[in-house]
Amino acid sequence: MSLDWAGAWQALIHHPLFGIGITLAAYQLSLAAYERTRWVFLQPVLVSMLLVILVLLACNIDFPEYRASVQTLTVLLGPTTVALAVPLFLNLRRIRQLFWPILVTLLVGGVAATGLGVLLAWLFGGEHLMLMSLLPKSVTSPIAMLVADQIGGIAALAAVFVMITGVLGAICGPAVLRLCGVRHPAAQGMALGITAHAVGTSRALQEGEECGAFAALGMSLMGVASAVLLPLLMALIV
Amino acid sequence: MLLRGLTWLVFFQLLGTVLNVLLLPMLPGPIIGLVLLLVFLKLRGEVGEPLQQAASSLLRYLPLLLVPPAVGVMAYAKDIAADFWAVMGSLILSLLLAVAFIGWLMQKLIDRQARHRSEP
Repeated sequence: MSLDWAGAWQALIHHPLFGIGITLAAYQLSLAAYERTRWVFLQPVLVSMLLVILVLLACNIDFPEYRASVQTLTVLLGPTTVALAVPLFLNLRRIRQLFWPILVTLLVGGVAATGLGVLLAWLFGGEHLMLMSLLPKSVTSPIAMLVADQIGGIAALAAVFVMITGVLGAICGPAVLRLCGVRHPAAQGMALGITAHAVGTSRALQEGEECGAFAALGMSLMGVASAVLLPLLMALIV
Repeated sequence: MLLRGLTWLVFFQLLGTVLNVLLLPMLPGPIIGLVLLLVFLKLRGEVGEPLQQAASSLLRYLPLLLVPPAVGVMAYAKDIAADFWAVMGSLILSLLLAVAFIGWLMQKLIDRQARHRSEP
């Protein structure tokens, strides 16, 4: 009796649940690795991403097929973003006490985070299209994709830069902050949220609830400010 | 309990999407939903048990939900490779400088405010 191994293999890797399966498995593996070693380079998002890409390449599955099969997971990103309102609300009193520091940090820091990236890329000789896709790198990806599109960049490329920035921020952020002597959880949270959006916020939640709340605050303020101001600014300059 | 909280979250996200199409095309639905839920909680004055439960369960899995968008990097490997050093260099440098600067600034402002409060 001969079994149809090739057919079974094709049915397995093209099943609508295959993408979810490898994502869940990769995430749990990398989470276990991170918890065992506590090594900063083993950020769960980064390691899972690499594992999933390896599996997809090995099975010859392209990104659109993977994206379609994990739709059930990504659709939850919306309600999860909304859920950030809960830690924000629970820390509202502390946030109100720090109103002026937050406002000044958001304006000065947001401009610095956005401007520095483009300035450096321009100095290093990046193309116009690249620069426009780099501009919203510190903003949460749905906003970044919208903004890049409006100012003449590529939305998907912007999403990639956003993810790279977020993962880098989660890896290096807390260490950089410790080196600079930033001890206040609010200051750590704001720095992670403004520069590294959702990935930075999920890293900040690991540091503590107050840190996470300020990261969520920094992320949403930065998102709203960029969404409104960047297209306006670009329209004025160009 | 969990389902009721989840329903609230989905409701606010959908409300955000409607407002996004009607009035605020530059803000994504989830962000509008976040602001609306915050206003709602402020008016109500407390977070109900179901909402608290749903929010903390979802937020626990935030890193998992971010994996699929991150995998999108593979689709643009060629474009990034062309400008690799310009892109990576500026992303890494600007991130390190921005994190350090923002953290430092916020810490300084908090310290200053604390001093002002203690010596009126």
